[in-house]
Amino acid sequence: MALQEACGPFEGTMSIVYRCQACDYRMAMLTNQMETQMVRSLGVKIGGRAREAAPMETLRTNLQGKRQEVAVPDRAKSASKCPFTGVVTEALEASQLQWTAGAQARMARVPAFVRPMVQRNVEDYAAQSGKMVVDESVMDAMKGQLGI
Amino acid sequence: MKTYHDIATDGGSDVAGQVADQMARLSSRLARVGHVVAIMSGKGGVGKSTLTAALAEAFALMSHSVGIVDADINGPSVALMTGVRHHVPHPVPGGMSPATSASGVKVMSMDLFLQHDSSAVLWEAPSQRHAYTWRPMVEMGVLRELIADTAWGALDVLFIDLPPGSDRLPNLADLVEDRAAAVVVTGPTAVSHGVVARSITAAADVAGLPVVGLVENMSSYVCTACGHEEYYDRSGSGAAELAAAHDIPFLGRIPFDSRLALAADRGEPFLAHAGDAPVGRAIMALAARMKDYLQL
Repeated sequence: MALQEACGPFEGTMSIVYRCQACDYRMAMLTNQMETQMVRSLGVKIGGRAREAAPMETLRTNLQGKRQEVAVPDRAKSASKCPFTGVVTEALEASQLQWTAGAQARMARVPAFVRPMVQRNVEDYAAQSGKMVVDESVMDAMKGQLGI
Repeated sequence: MKTYHDIATDGGSDVAGQVADQMARLSSRLARVGHVVAIMSGKGGVGKSTLTAALAEAFALMSHSVGIVDADINGPSVALMTGVRHHVPHPVPGGMSPATSASGVKVMSMDLFLQHDSSAVLWEAPSQRHAYTWRPMVEMGVLRELIADTAWGALDVLFIDLPPGSDRLPNLADLVEDRAAAVVVTGPTAVSHGVVARSITAAADVAGLPVVGLVENMSSYVCTACGHEEYYDRSGSGAAELAAAHDIPFLGRIPFDSRLALAADRGEPFLAHAGDAPVGRAIMALAARMKDYLQL
């Protein structure tokens, strides 16, 4: 199943549609406003935390009418207020193409600081070529251009 | 068809692990705190916050390192009473910076984050409707953050000024586990005694907190001109009987003195300037009894 689309959030509710790339079966999820807010109230990050929470992150991020001098944690400025929207947006921004194990292994050898750019270029190339799967043949075709 | 109960994991969010991390952070912070003392009462208006500020000043005068967490998320007052409303908490190594009063008491309160004195405490949400479903959880999380994420340093005593009622008490007990004790404050009236009786039961039996004792606040009025002391109930037996009925120590009676109320309104220390007044002596005596209990 691949994430196909997300609508919302509208008044705290959003819909998410997954699609089977083999048979086109689709499944939708609908988030509930109050449950979403309860998760948000826990101060946890859906999808897991890569970094430790900033001190008083929940308070500084979610309090309305706070003093202008109160520093809002950096990652909260740009992140979605909704814990589910945030993780879905990240997923939508991420690749919707499937990568074979061999292609993933080759990508892992690309230096980390240029990996996102290389991945984007490979995926753009695959999409333009009408491919649903990035395999080593796609990587080979890009090899000359990107040196991977 | 799979059901909710067939879901083996939470998709990598590890919510339980994140909550465990939050509690570990709190435990780590409290490891540098000698004693946590909750000042509570079932009744509003009995002077909990004024007494908390004065007790913290008393401990500071006795050369102890002291902090106050204002646990009244929606009606904070400790920052004003300790004269630190101007302080804006900011990130420092190890957490957020607490305010420090003229007496050297460290303070953390919602009030330090709010723009205006009249600002209501509201939380970001798609809608404030049906906020009863999630607002208590936010407040619990914020109380945890106020305690755990403040860079207190090493403290001998951390006072927690609880809001009126006993509904926040079980939350606090869950957060600090076996680290806290409670001081219960009552007014001199029979109505106050009746309401506070329920709080004592809530503290001891429901939350499982050890109760340091009961204090009767504003039990008399002291004339600032001639020093005459007028009791609300001269027999003074009501609070002592209440304490005895619940098998907890009666810690004493604190007279009302308008100078203490004025000092709190102005955010000024009181004991350092008027410690020899009857109310000052009573608060210092109360602090001394608490010190004995805490073995400080």
